[in-house]
Amino acid sequence: MEHLSTEALARLVDNAPEPSESEHLAECMVCASGLQALRLQTEQLGSLPEILPPLGDWEVLEARLRSDGLVRDRGVLQRVGLARTPGWMKVAASAVLFLTGIGVGSVVGFSTPGQEGSPRLPDIAFASAETVEDAATAVRIAEQNYVNALTRYSQLMDRDAPGSSQADQSGRMAALEYLFAATQAAVRQAPADQFLNGLLAATRAEREATLSRISTRQDNWF
Amino acid sequence: MTEIQLIREACEGDSRAIRKLYDRYAPRVYAVVRRIAGDDDLAQDYAQEAWIRAIRALPNFRGDARFSTWLHRIAVNSALQAIRKTETRRKRESPMPEQLAAVSGSSDALLQRKLQRALDTLPEGMRRVLILHDVEGYTHDDIGDALGVTSGTSKSQLFKARAKMRSILASVGSDTKETGAEAWSI
Repeated sequence: MEHLSTEALARLVDNAPEPSESEHLAECMVCASGLQALRLQTEQLGSLPEILPPLGDWEVLEARLRSDGLVRDRGVLQRVGLARTPGWMKVAASAVLFLTGIGVGSVVGFSTPGQEGSPRLPDIAFASAETVEDAATAVRIAEQNYVNALTRYSQLMDRDAPGSSQADQSGRMAALEYLFAATQAAVRQAPADQFLNGLLAATRAEREATLSRISTRQDNWF
Repeated sequence: MTEIQLIREACEGDSRAIRKLYDRYAPRVYAVVRRIAGDDDLAQDYAQEAWIRAIRALPNFRGDARFSTWLHRIAVNSALQAIRKTETRRKRESPMPEQLAAVSGSSDALLQRKLQRALDTLPEGMRRVLILHDVEGYTHDDIGDALGVTSGTSKSQLFKARAKMRSILASVGSDTKETGAEAWSI
């Protein structure tokens, strides 16, 4: 008896056998089991599992995506959830944030003692922003000014507050240390992010100011 | 976040969205290119290339097909194209080896390891057709399009590949039976 070739059996995994092949398979256990093994092999191939990529694959890919300009860090619009809003809403939001920054800056004052009443204006004025990107830059500057203003406000309030104790200052210092470390880590993740850099600068300044106040009080006490 | 939202964010270059898509589909992409490549080092290069292409092509994804299907096609085409380039270079530089070296098994399951090793030792043309048809579920027309051959050629290659695979598994099984090592036959 002549057996069916393995290729012929492989064809029968998908296709119906010719009558002569059917007759042969009915009589020949060798070919029938060969066909059964091929069916099983095909079934097993179809259920092969997914394979995890090697460790570090994402980091390599991310670096390539960045070098190809296909990835960018989340900007302020994404962070505040404005990335998908229409252009006019972005402009409106930018205006509100910008004016808030200027307003707070004017009230609290960014000026040094020799420049009373002349708050520092941002380098990119909102009125001249012609694109959403320019407006976003203005927003970042406004945010930074806002943080600076708030810090200054806090400094003034703290300086003038009669009841701020040494314990309060120490607790504040610990909180600032934590904030500084967190912001520093965030800047390491996104070194070009203006908002984070501004926050880091403000936190650092506030931490040093608090440290200075604590040491002054200790000096005075002694 | 839904997949559509993720895709939209990834389209705009949001690294977190791209990372989420990667986490979701990297094992599938890697599996298909690994099997086509028959080699771990090549597979990593092919998978990276597939992702770069996919991210670059994201703005063209219209959602007619499922994202996984679309990405899978890109991965297959990318791997096949990379292999063609490699083959051309090999042909120019030196005679092409008949088979890619078998890689060490990464799966815990003995059966899967046996199948993977057998796949890796198949001649490349046969392996591609067998993987696309029996593993990935492509039709012969799809395979014809992807490989630039007729569907008849694809069928004929498939039957040869199945037979060769069977023969590899059987021969390894008989070798290992003699030495008392792991059983290879399915």
